[in-house]
Amino acid sequence: MPSIEAGVPSETQRPVLSVKDLKTHFHTDAGVIKAVNGVSLSVGEGETLAVVGESGSGKSVTGLTVMRLLARTSARVVGGSIEFIDRGGELIDLLALSDPGMERIRGKDIAMIFQDPMSSLNPVFTVCDQIAEPIRIHQKLDKKQARAKALDLLRKVGISDPESRIDAYPHQLSGGMRQRVMIAVALACDPRLLIADEPTTALDVTIQAQIIDLLRRLQQERRMAMIFVTHDLKLVGEIADRVAVMYASQVVEEGPVAEVLERPRHPYTKALLECIPSGRSADGKRHHLQPIPGTLPNPLAPPPGCRFSPRCGFAAQDCREVEPVLEDAAPGHVTRCLRWKEIAL
Amino acid sequence: MTTHALLKPSDSSKPAQPLVQARAVSKYFDLGGGFLSGSKPLLRAVEGVDLDIAAGEVLGVVGESGSGKSTLGRLMLRLLEASRGSVSFDGKELGTLAPSEMRRFRRHMQMVFQDPFASLNARMTIGEALIEPIALHRGLKGRQAEEEAAALLERVGLSADHLKRYPRMFSGGQRQRIAIARALASAPRFIVADEPVSALDVSVQAEVINLLQRLQEQLGLTLMFISHDLSVVEVITDRVMVLYLGRVMELAPTESLYSHPAHPYTAALLQAAPGVVTARKHVLKGEIPSPANPPSGCVFRTRCPFAIDDCAQTVPTLREIAPNHLKACIRDDLQL
Ligand SMILES: Nc1ncnc2c1ncn2[C@@H]1O[C@H](COP(=O)(O)OP(=O)(O)OP(=O)(O)O)[C@@H](O)[C@H]1O
Ligand SMILES: Nc1ncnc2c1ncn2[C@@H]1O[C@H](COP(=O)(O)OP(=O)(O)OP(=O)(O)O)[C@@H](O)[C@H]1O
Ligand code: SF4
Ligand code: SF4
Ligand SMILES: [Mg+2]
Ligand SMILES: [Mg+2]
Repeated sequence: MPSIEAGVPSETQRPVLSVKDLKTHFHTDAGVIKAVNGVSLSVGEGETLAVVGESGSGKSVTGLTVMRLLARTSARVVGGSIEFIDRGGELIDLLALSDPGMERIRGKDIAMIFQDPMSSLNPVFTVCDQIAEPIRIHQKLDKKQARAKALDLLRKVGISDPESRIDAYPHQLSGGMRQRVMIAVALACDPRLLIADEPTTALDVTIQAQIIDLLRRLQQERRMAMIFVTHDLKLVGEIADRVAVMYASQVVEEGPVAEVLERPRHPYTKALLECIPSGRSADGKRHHLQPIPGTLPNPLAPPPGCRFSPRCGFAAQDCREVEPVLEDAAPGHVTRCLRWKEIAL
Repeated sequence: MTTHALLKPSDSSKPAQPLVQARAVSKYFDLGGGFLSGSKPLLRAVEGVDLDIAAGEVLGVVGESGSGKSTLGRLMLRLLEASRGSVSFDGKELGTLAPSEMRRFRRHMQMVFQDPFASLNARMTIGEALIEPIALHRGLKGRQAEEEAAALLERVGLSADHLKRYPRMFSGGQRQRIAIARALASAPRFIVADEPVSALDVSVQAEVINLLQRLQEQLGLTLMFISHDLSVVEVITDRVMVLYLGRVMELAPTESLYSHPAHPYTAALLQAAPGVVTARKHVLKGEIPSPANPPSGCVFRTRCPFAIDDCAQTVPTLREIAPNHLKACIRDDLQL
C-alpha cells in the first residue's frame, strides 16, 4: 500500500468522516442544554484527530451523536450533518440512516471505545462472548472461528496468555487489561473509523503509555481514521496529527498538532497550555502555574458573544456582544476568536 | 487577610528533629480465605519503610496504582495501625498513645482526599462542616467559631457567603477548596494530601495546586503529597519517594530525582509520563505484580529491563548514592 503522508488529508482524498455544524441538545427539566452547538470536524484515512477540552465541553456527546447512541427521549440532533464514506467509497448520511442501517455500521465500520470500560463491558458476559459476538454478527463466522479470531485479537492488543483470560469476566481483570479488551472489542470487525473516548484516563502512566503505543501501532497498520477524545493536552502530541480544542460545546481552535501546541491562535488553548505543570524554571525554583480565572459557563445559560469572554484576558467590548465564527488563521488551522489577528499569544 | 493566630506556623519544632518519622513501618492485610486451607495469605501493602519528614517540608509519594501510597499515608497519620515498625510525630511514637491522647494529637495531622465529592457530607452546610472540627479541636464556639470558619473559607479563596450553602452547589474545584479548608480547621502541622487534584480538570487543578503551595508556604505546613502525576509532583514537592509494591525504590530531592533518576523504575515512570512535546524512548512492559505474591529479591525485577541473575537473589537495600539521594538497586553501572 502506498504510504500517505500523515497530516491533513490531501485535496483529492475525501475525509472518512465529516461532521458539519452539528447541534445536539438535551431537553431537561431545568431547560435546554446545548451540549454540542455547531461543531465541525473531519478525519481522514490513517489520520488521528484529537478532541480536547475540559469536563462538560461536549466531547463525549459529539462522539455519541456520531455513533447515534444517545437516547432519543432526551437528546435531539437539531442541526448539522454527519457524513461517512464507507470502504466502497459510498457516502452515507449517518443522520438520515434507518436504525437497522445504523446497526450494520456500528461496531463494523465505526467503532467506539468508551470512557469507562467497567460500564461498557457487560459484567455478566465473558471476554470471549463480548469479542466474538460482534465478529459472529458482522462477519458471519461460526462459534469456533469467532473464538479463534477473538484469541488472535487479544494477543494483538498485548494480552499475554490470552487462553487463560478469554473466559474471564470483566471484574476479574485489571483496569489496564479491561481497557485492552475494550480495544479488542472495538477492533474486532476492523473498523474504518475508531472513536476512542478517553481510553486511558483511569490508567497509570505506564499502562497509558502501553495503550497509546498500541493504538498508534494498530491505527497505522490498519490505516484507520481515529478520533481520540481526551482532556489531557499532553497526550495530544503523542498520538494525534491534528487537534480540535473544545470549549463550552464548540470547537474554538483546530489545526495540526505541532502548530496548535506551539503556536496556539486561541486564548483558551493558550490558557490551557499554561495550566499544565511543566517542570521547574532554569534556576530550579518552583514554578507557579497560571490557572484560568473563573469557571466554565453554565450549560443552561452560556454568556452572550464569545463564550470564553468572561474568562479571557484579551476580551474587549465586542467579545461580549458578537459571537465569533471559525476563521482561517493559517493553512488548515482555524480559530474562533474575534481578535486573533491583533493579540500576541 | 484574616490570619488567625492558631494558623501561624508553630515554632516549637526543633529544626534538627524531623516532624514525622517512620521506622521500618509495614502494613500487611490479611486476605482471609486461608481459614480452610490453614495458611493465611498476606498482602504486603507497605514493607519496611523508613522516612523522615522535616517540619515545613513537602514530600511527594509516587508509584503506580497499588504501590502502597495511600496505605503509607494512612500509616503516617495512624489512620491505620502498623503491622510492624513505628511512626512518630514530633518525637512521640503514635502507636503507644492511648485513644484519648491520640484524639488530642489528631488536630495536628489531617488528610485531604482525592474525591472532593465523597469527602464532604451532603447534608451539612459548608459552615457546619467547618465549625465541627473548629469546635472539636480548638474549643471555639458560637460567633468565634463562625468567624473562624469564614476566615478559613477566605484563606482558600472562597467567601463567607458560601457558609450557608451545601456541597452540591459547588464545582469540583470549589469542593476541593472546601475540603482543604476543613483539613486546616484544626490548625494542623502535618497534612497528607492523597491525590488531591487527580479528579480535577487541568485549569481547576492548577488553581488547587497554587492554593496548596501558597498555604504550605504561609503556614509552614509539612505536607505529604501523594500523586500518580509526576508533573504535578515536580512542581509542588521538595523531595520525592518512589514506591513499588510497598517498597521504597528511590528517595531523593525533587530536582535530583527528575534530572538524574537512579533507579530503573523511576526512569521508567518518568519516560512513561506524557509531555507536551516528547518522543518516548521505551515503554515499561507488563503490570505491577500482586503484593500478595511479590517477586523474590528485587521486587521490580520482573519488569526491569536491566535485571540480572543476582536481582532474584538479593533484596537491594536503600542506600545513599549522592547526598540525600537514596536508591534500592544493586546495579551502579546503569545509564538511565
Ligand atoms: N444525557 C444527558 N442529559 C442531559 N445533559 C447531558 C447528558 N449527557 C451530557 N449532558 C451534558 O452535556 C454537556 C456535555 O457533556 P459531555 O459528556 O459531552 O462532556 P465531556 O466533554 O465528554 O466531559 P468529560 O470530560 O467530563 O467526559 C454537559 O453539560 C453535560 O452535563
Ligand atoms: N483494606 C485493605 N484490605 C486489603 N487490601 C488492601 C486494603 N487497602 C489496600 N489494600 C491493598 O494494598 C495495596 C496497596 O494499596 P494502596 O491503596 O495503598 O495503593 P495506592 O498506591 O494508593 O494505589 P492507587 O494509586 O490505586 O490509589 C493494594 O494491593 C491494595 O489492593
Ligand atoms: S473573541 Fe474575545 S473573548 Fe473570545 S477568545 Fe477572542 S479575545 Fe477572548
Ligand atoms: S536490582 Fe536489578 S531488577 Fe532491581 S531495579 Fe536494580 S537492576 Fe533492576
Ligand atoms: Mg466525556
Ligand atoms: Mg491511593
